[in-house]
Amino acid sequence: MSEIQIENREESNALEKSEKAERYWLSLDQWNNDDEFQKIAEQEFLSSPLREDAENGSQESGWARREFLKLMGASLAMTSAGCLRRPVQKIVPYNKQPEEVTFGVSNNYSSVYFDGSEGIGLLVKTREGRPIKIEGNEKHPLNKGGTSVRAQAHLLSLYDPERLRGPRQKSGASAKWEEIDDAVVKQLGKGGVVVMTGSLASPSTRALVTDFCQGFGAKHIVWEPLSYEEIREGQKASYAAPFSPDQTGVPFYRFDKAKVIVSVDADFLGTWLAPTVFTRQFSSARKNIEKMNRLVAFDSYYSLTGANADIRMRIKPSQQLDVVMGLAHEIVLKQGKSHFSGDSRVKAALEPFANVSIKLGMEPALFSQIAKDLIENKGESLVVAGGLPTMTEKAVELQVAVNFLNSVLENDGKTIEFKSAFAGLNGSMKSVLELIESMNTGSVKTIVIHKTNPIYNLPESLGFKEALKKVEMVLYTGDRVDETGRQADYVIPDNHSLETWGDIETAGGYYSLQQPTIRPLYDTRSFQLSLMTWAFMSKKGSSRLTTPETYYDYLRAFWKDEVLPKVAKGKDFEDFWETALQEGYVEVPRANSAPRVFKAESLSSVTPWSQSGYEVVLYPTVALGDGALANVSWLQELPDPVTKICWDNYVSLSLATAEKLKVKEGSLMELNMSGQTLTLPAHIHPGLHDEVLAIPVGYGRTAAGKIANNVGVNSFNLGRKKGASVVFSGMKAELKNTGKDYQLANPQGHHVLGDSKTAGRKIVVEATLAEYLKDKAANNHNHKIWSIWEGHQYNGNKWGMSIDLNACTGCNSCVVACQSENNIPVVGKKYVIQGREMHWLRIDRYFVGGPAQAEAVFQPILCQHCDNAPCETVCPVLATVHSSEGLNDMVYNRCVGTRYCSNNCPYKVRRFNWFNFNKDIEKPLHLALNPDVTVRMRGVMEKCSFCVHRIKEVKNTARLEGRNLKTDEVKVACQSSCSANAIAFGDLNNPDSEVAKAFKDDPRSYALLEEFHAAPSVRYQTKIRNNHQEKRYNDAHKKGGHA
Amino acid sequence: MMQRSPLITGNKTLKDITDDIAAPIESMPGNGWVGLFLGAKALFVFYIITIGIVVSTGMGLLGVNHPNAWGTMIITFVFWIGIGHAGTLISAILFLFRQKWRTSVARTAEAMTVFAVMTAGLFPLMHTGRPWLDYWLFPYPNQRGPLWVNFRSPLLWDVFAVSTYATVSMVFWYIGMVPDFATIRDRAKNKIRQTVYGILSLGWRGTARDWSHYEIVYMLLAGLSTPLVLSVHTIVSFDFAVSNLPGWHTTIFPPYFVAGAIFSGFGMVVTLMTLVRIGFPTFKDYITINHMEVMNKIIMTTGLMVGYAYASEFFIAWYSGNIYERFVFVNRAFGDYGWSYWIMVCCNVLSPQIFWFKRFRRSIPVMFVVSIFVNIGMWFERFVITVTSLHADFLPSSWGSYAWSRYDSFILLGSFGMFLTLFLLYLRLFPAISIAEIKPMLHVGKEGGHQ
Repeated sequence: MSEIQIENREESNALEKSEKAERYWLSLDQWNNDDEFQKIAEQEFLSSPLREDAENGSQESGWARREFLKLMGASLAMTSAGCLRRPVQKIVPYNKQPEEVTFGVSNNYSSVYFDGSEGIGLLVKTREGRPIKIEGNEKHPLNKGGTSVRAQAHLLSLYDPERLRGPRQKSGASAKWEEIDDAVVKQLGKGGVVVMTGSLASPSTRALVTDFCQGFGAKHIVWEPLSYEEIREGQKASYAAPFSPDQTGVPFYRFDKAKVIVSVDADFLGTWLAPTVFTRQFSSARKNIEKMNRLVAFDSYYSLTGANADIRMRIKPSQQLDVVMGLAHEIVLKQGKSHFSGDSRVKAALEPFANVSIKLGMEPALFSQIAKDLIENKGESLVVAGGLPTMTEKAVELQVAVNFLNSVLENDGKTIEFKSAFAGLNGSMKSVLELIESMNTGSVKTIVIHKTNPIYNLPESLGFKEALKKVEMVLYTGDRVDETGRQADYVIPDNHSLETWGDIETAGGYYSLQQPTIRPLYDTRSFQLSLMTWAFMSKKGSSRLTTPETYYDYLRAFWKDEVLPKVAKGKDFEDFWETALQEGYVEVPRANSAPRVFKAESLSSVTPWSQSGYEVVLYPTVALGDGALANVSWLQELPDPVTKICWDNYVSLSLATAEKLKVKEGSLMELNMSGQTLTLPAHIHPGLHDEVLAIPVGYGRTAAGKIANNVGVNSFNLGRKKGASVVFSGMKAELKNTGKDYQLANPQGHHVLGDSKTAGRKIVVEATLAEYLKDKAANNHNHKIWSIWEGHQYNGNKWGMSIDLNACTGCNSCVVACQSENNIPVVGKKYVIQGREMHWLRIDRYFVGGPAQAEAVFQPILCQHCDNAPCETVCPVLATVHSSEGLNDMVYNRCVGTRYCSNNCPYKVRRFNWFNFNKDIEKPLHLALNPDVTVRMRGVMEKCSFCVHRIKEVKNTARLEGRNLKTDEVKVACQSSCSANAIAFGDLNNPDSEVAKAFKDDPRSYALLEEFHAAPSVRYQTKIRNNHQEKRYNDAHKKGGHA
Repeated sequence: MMQRSPLITGNKTLKDITDDIAAPIESMPGNGWVGLFLGAKALFVFYIITIGIVVSTGMGLLGVNHPNAWGTMIITFVFWIGIGHAGTLISAILFLFRQKWRTSVARTAEAMTVFAVMTAGLFPLMHTGRPWLDYWLFPYPNQRGPLWVNFRSPLLWDVFAVSTYATVSMVFWYIGMVPDFATIRDRAKNKIRQTVYGILSLGWRGTARDWSHYEIVYMLLAGLSTPLVLSVHTIVSFDFAVSNLPGWHTTIFPPYFVAGAIFSGFGMVVTLMTLVRIGFPTFKDYITINHMEVMNKIIMTTGLMVGYAYASEFFIAWYSGNIYERFVFVNRAFGDYGWSYWIMVCCNVLSPQIFWFKRFRRSIPVMFVVSIFVNIGMWFERFVITVTSLHADFLPSSWGSYAWSRYDSFILLGSFGMFLTLFLLYLRLFPAISIAEIKPMLHVGKEGGHQ
């Protein structure tokens, strides 16, 4: 029963053969130096079939023999091959050329990805039938081409060598689907069935699970570590009828419509709800600078949103409520600008929050100003709070306060669209706590766990693991024997999302189809098909569930019956389906949301809260999120946007706290929370509240794979049960210095621009909105540069890039896009510490101002493709040369590796292959390599090529079609991944191109290190801070010019 | 007329001179030499193994990283190249200036030059990412289409400069030894020695014509070598000065590097000569304390010159008004690598000041210690120039420390193994003082006797 209906995938058979892995690459594990690695290292050069035996032990005893026979046959055939490490590679053409596949030409399929919180419309680029790159779908109405870090990096999880190759029994032995199905069906007959899933954004899967549960009388429990339960609860408490029944309860936010945004620990640009979509919205509202929005962030940790805020205030979790209620107090009581002003219940609730600004330690005038901004933009403002850092014991009260404030500001129905609420975000801790109880009582006989990893993500203290042991049969659909998989009686691996059909409702009313882009690499079966099979075998459930042969059929039937009538009633289904696949989405006409009535009595639950001492804040990182994709090396090596640390989690504390506790960067700290201790390194971070201990979650996996295992510590365990919920923030804790040191991998230290070391360096140019309104080139001073050489002549194209620092949020999406596009190796923690990271595109993060109130700026740095490139003149062998189109070309096979070019590069963008990183890629990860880009060997310099292969591809197409290049036809990888639309790329010789306009007409445009006169082809546009200040800088480096 | 002090002491006859100088070649080595040689050789073998590991694994084993793309290999390369300079200066320039005292130390100083250049020359080849392709650095007709070297690159100039220098100094050294090889050949009491030195002496017969040709060739080669003393380290300094990096991009580098090279070279000559005097006590009559004193004066002078260069760099950095330049120099002295800067200043500028006192100038232990300091200081000078400039340049985001590894230490130590092995072999195989040239010096300082 194969559910995959695509025929043109013959070549994927070849992939299945090559999947038999060799060793994982040395560099990543070397730093770990754990037993597992030692074992591998010992076997590294055992190039005999026995090595497989040694590795797999009894688990795959039949396999080694097969491999041996295969190798024997192969070695007879390959007479010229001396050893196994260099086998003869035969190129076999297609026997029957698939219709759609042309060698060397990529195919793009529209698809969608859901990471547990947001759905992103994608284009999956495949070459010769294998997915090699994931990009955003430009046509998708929400993300509009932007992608997230994880949406791109989940490509690598498809080729993860540690994925299960077939179902497993608890003993670790492989199992047959028939046996499992028989056993499961028998077990299901006993009743007491629970289906536990992560948030299901797939409407058809939701329907399918519902059908299944109905058939078996099973219970469906949804749980997600980042569940947004507090928002749903808050909505329920605040409004009489918050949503229509089929909606989830997490409203859709319109940051593009908001002129003033106040975020209280809702990291909507980084990790909260749908950051890619929100980044797109947020940045689009800053494009017209005169009318740009203002973002005020109250931050318990240094979030990406805080880093992009115009005004950022540091708080601690117990002050979140103060902020929101304080603002409400300012508006409703002090300024009396709301119809709630007369309400006595409101008055009673607000009164205790009279002097919040003093408690927060901020200027009362600024606080009032923020309140004034909000009310002046009523209907066009937005207050948001939520996410893990707000999961305090007052999480729901905070939401009620936020809802109240938004109602006061009349934002409800305008910047908050509850009619198109996010679908499927139903994760509920309450139901998990109930589940644990019922498992303990033994009433759960069978549990199916899908797309969630409760043993890892739930705090140990909740006792889920112990409770699970009391369940007769645990079925887990994970792709590996991970933390939860270890407890399962059967691990029945689900297909990877790139291998299977599916659909995602990215936000209420936006449906996208997920297309398989490769035949399943291994013996896996989709979760949906498993449920359908069991229902069919048990003869239970509706005919909708049992009739279709595959999930694909179910999906189509569902779309025909459910989606089509909503979107395009009466349209022919085949046409509709075809269009949906091609466009990547269908859209339900949007309904207007009329404002809802806020229940003033709900405010009575909101009482002041104060706490002293250190408070723990747990937060998800941009790279790892909840840690599900922790075994993807790209994500582990991705520097955190704000701390810039990779390969670890840590406890961030303020400089003052560090001084008080005599802590150095990397001191190992012991965190003590009511008896429970956690040891992790300290990271001293500017801009944190002195009583905050901020710790990222998603690390400390123990059974995710060689890459993720034992990287950092599992801070989810710090979660505390409090009443009917679990808190992840605002818990009191003690911190002790163990006196031991630990090294964190941080490719960039803390660098404050404008201190004694860096004063006067014009690197990131900023201006306040006030300055900009007076002078569009504010703070952007130019140097009078003359040269005795007239420079290169560029008669054809001259490629250039413009990066708008005012749009860039530093989200790192481009870094991963570049890594994926250009086959950039990952080097591992040890080598990051040694300064050997390979990212061609990095995002420089600087802090401005004092350590307490430091503001952050981001600057993506890539090869600047200088016209007067300093690297070109010093290469003794002409391995880096100037092209006629202004590119600084790197000729890898000419490079001898003197590294002089890197020394002479003022931007330090060149990367050297210190080791043979690419040779060590474990199969089948090599299938993710982009065939258009050479893999570089040891001893060769590399750097950004401006995606020269993409330029060539577009030029070739144009030539074949006998036409000139269209304006802005070439899209480079970083540019197309950018959800903030910060990067423009194009031909500077074409006056209509976006980049030419930015270079010529935008007064904000400047060249980095202009006075150096390398004449870069990359320019930056100044960042504008929409705060209330008149001037950004006080120093002497002002506008004007000097030679 | 001022009385000159004699250049050779001990009332030697011409035969004594020949016997004394030929003795190490004609006798079995003592335990001291054998011990030293085995030690040096072991270090040399260790060096070869280290290089093998680094070349076969990758440059990442060393501390070089991003942003410090150059490190120990380049630092030690410049160090050894600098050492070489004293030899050529002594043998060529002082020859042209008719400085008779040079004769006693010229041969050994030149040998030191040749070995130092050999040791140095390996580094630029090994430090590349793909050393097996190093021949691409040479412009030779090839079948790779129009591919040619980049004549704008200082590294290419370096290839020419160092290879020219190595060739000329080797030829100069060898030509100078030809009459002495003939002497050894003529004195040889066994067939092997007679044959080997017979071949080496290129059929020298000691005729007037031989001598006439020899003198002319020697003079010409001295003339050829003289500009090389200045040019080689000038061009080595171009590797740094022609680049755009603050801390490298300074016009003072050529004279500063040449002065530093002579300084370090004389430091090494003094180190080696004190050791030679201990190892071969008879040589004390030829390499007298007067010789050592003259060299110490040069060390002090050139030490002051590099001190001036250090100060001048700081002044120019301030005077330029360039914020990057200013930062690099402040950072050099007071930043993360400030310790290396102060080691350099103490060793190179302060320690030679002791030579203002004649007593110390003429004290073997003092000069030995100072010469070691000079060697250490000059290695650190190159470390300071290379690493402190690279580790923090324009964009603070890219700042990073050099990741010193044990392989860096091995490479640095091992290079001494190579040098010492060659040098110790030289002491036993070649006449360490020019027999032919030293004999005319016998009368110097004894002119008074005839009055």
